Amino acid sequence: MRPMLRQWKFVFSLSLLFLSVFATPLSAAISCELNYPAGDVARLFPDSNGFTTSDFSFSGRGGAPLLRKVEARLGGVPALYAPLDVPYVLYEVLKGKKRVGYVHGVNQKGQFGVLEVFLSLDLNGTIKAFYLQRISGAWGRKFTSPRFGKQFVGLDLRDFEQYDTVAAKGTGKVASIANPAPEAKTDFLGILRALKKNLVLMDEFFYSAGKGAQ
Amino acid sequence: MISKFQIAYQNLLRKKARTSLTLIGITLSSWVLVSLLGFNRGYENALDHDIDNMGYQLMVMAKGCPYEAATMMLQGGAGLRYIEQSMVDSIVNRPEVDEVTPILMQAFFDPDKGDGGGIAGYYGIELASYPGMKPFLRFHQGGWFRDEKAAEAVMGYEAAELEQRVVGDMILVPEKNVQLKVVGILERTGTQDDGTIFVPLKTLQQISGIDQITTIGIKIKTDADSTKLETALYQLPDVQVVSFTQVKQTIMKLISTARIMVLSIAIIAVLIAMVGVVNTILMSVLERTQEIGILKTMGAMPGDIFRLVWTETLILCSCGAIAGIALAFVFARISDLLMRSVLPYAPVGELVAIDLKLALLTLVTIVGVGLASGIYPAWKAGRVRPLDSIRSEG
Repeated sequence: MRPMLRQWKFVFSLSLLFLSVFATPLSAAISCELNYPAGDVARLFPDSNGFTTSDFSFSGRGGAPLLRKVEARLGGVPALYAPLDVPYVLYEVLKGKKRVGYVHGVNQKGQFGVLEVFLSLDLNGTIKAFYLQRISGAWGRKFTSPRFGKQFVGLDLRDFEQYDTVAAKGTGKVASIANPAPEAKTDFLGILRALKKNLVLMDEFFYSAGKGAQ
Repeated sequence: MISKFQIAYQNLLRKKARTSLTLIGITLSSWVLVSLLGFNRGYENALDHDIDNMGYQLMVMAKGCPYEAATMMLQGGAGLRYIEQSMVDSIVNRPEVDEVTPILMQAFFDPDKGDGGGIAGYYGIELASYPGMKPFLRFHQGGWFRDEKAAEAVMGYEAAELEQRVVGDMILVPEKNVQLKVVGILERTGTQDDGTIFVPLKTLQQISGIDQITTIGIKIKTDADSTKLETALYQLPDVQVVSFTQVKQTIMKLISTARIMVLSIAIIAVLIAMVGVVNTILMSVLERTQEIGILKTMGAMPGDIFRLVWTETLILCSCGAIAGIALAFVFARISDLLMRSVLPYAPVGELVAIDLKLALLTLVTIVGVGLASGIYPAWKAGRVRPLDSIRSEG
């Protein structure tokens, strides 16, 4: 067979394979996305003037071993975590053409439904803003209030590593954050778990991977 | 000895670019044809599957637009108006009726759902009758409610996944702030049930402050006269009767125009491809006039030349049709997604259903039409006069 023809056949077969794989319906895995990205990113990152969106998943990078590692870092409770194929949406925040940070959200089990918890992070992984997009329950406003959210500003993964979000025990800045709705302990701990999950994911996929650097 | 097929094959290879282009034309047209025939079959099958999964064949609801309501229900939406629950008693004793189930559909506004809030739909069902009508429903976790007044819910697979609920968890009915315990999560069905939250009818009536229902589902006895039953039900005051056979017919009518249009496009594509075949073979015959003349002087009869040229058409059409069918199989999912994106109502399931029978039908059609198109060039080749052709300039 001539080399040109062989090459053409290879490219053609590869294209067919590519198209047929990508034509399969998306799995039912549920990602966590901002409802109003343009407005939300601007609000969570006031000094930004744009953003780009991309997504990442365990199946796309690291696979099952990385998933197990992250689960272990989160306390080894499966309910904390999501399956391999969940696409995590990442908003890379820009100032001009320069990347200045990230906005990233995760889903977490709450008392009456899912919690959608977003963080804006600078390039070092420090929390700049907290945003609870979804929570069910009469106490929702207590958790979405700026007063509650401000307590997380300036914290980073090291602060959360001193606190066990499963057993609700530990020390440091996270331990000092009070539950504004004692009747909603599940939601309060769910939010803390979501924040830790968010930070661990960002660490594994970007900061520790050296991709958070400018 | 070299066969007719080998000669025809070698002839086609002489002009590779022209043969390839003709082949591409046939491939594309057979791809379009088999995909559209697959859609015609797949859509109806998928619609039948959706309707079978309703568990009942007739619905009685308050007067309004029955088809809109039925379509909304197929898509998991809410009913329009209310009817008295006592109406169930007047239907259940009819001889044609096998089973009856009252249903209350309610939609509550959830400000935290989606962009700017969304509707959370709840389906109030009777434990005594509804599960029996849907015996195919299987539980991923747990089971049905404890009783008809329990503050419990059974969630469809996707509804539970979206809210990250497992059996034992609580959910909160928006607007009403009523807590319900999740006692069951259904297996994924691929239907509207996946996104539904089922609540005992009386519980949902209590939550909504309504003692009526929105719908009565009726399962008809196998040998019963459904038309007679429909006529009788129409006598009930202020109700509409929706037969899923009618719903299916209406939906099929709605898409029939689109089906005719796409089939016309497929036929045009096939015709264009066949014009290409005629052109290719005719050009090939004209270019080989002298060669054909020599063959005739060596004893070839007009029939032999005719068959030789016709074989070229056969090879072209067969290869093109097979390639097109193969592409249709490979890209069936893409065709499915495309159809789904343009249709106003797409049932769950495979919209483009291509099987071996359909593939063979397409192959036979393309080869048949191709051979018919090849008659003229083959006939022209058979009529070449040996001396004239040899004298002509090459």
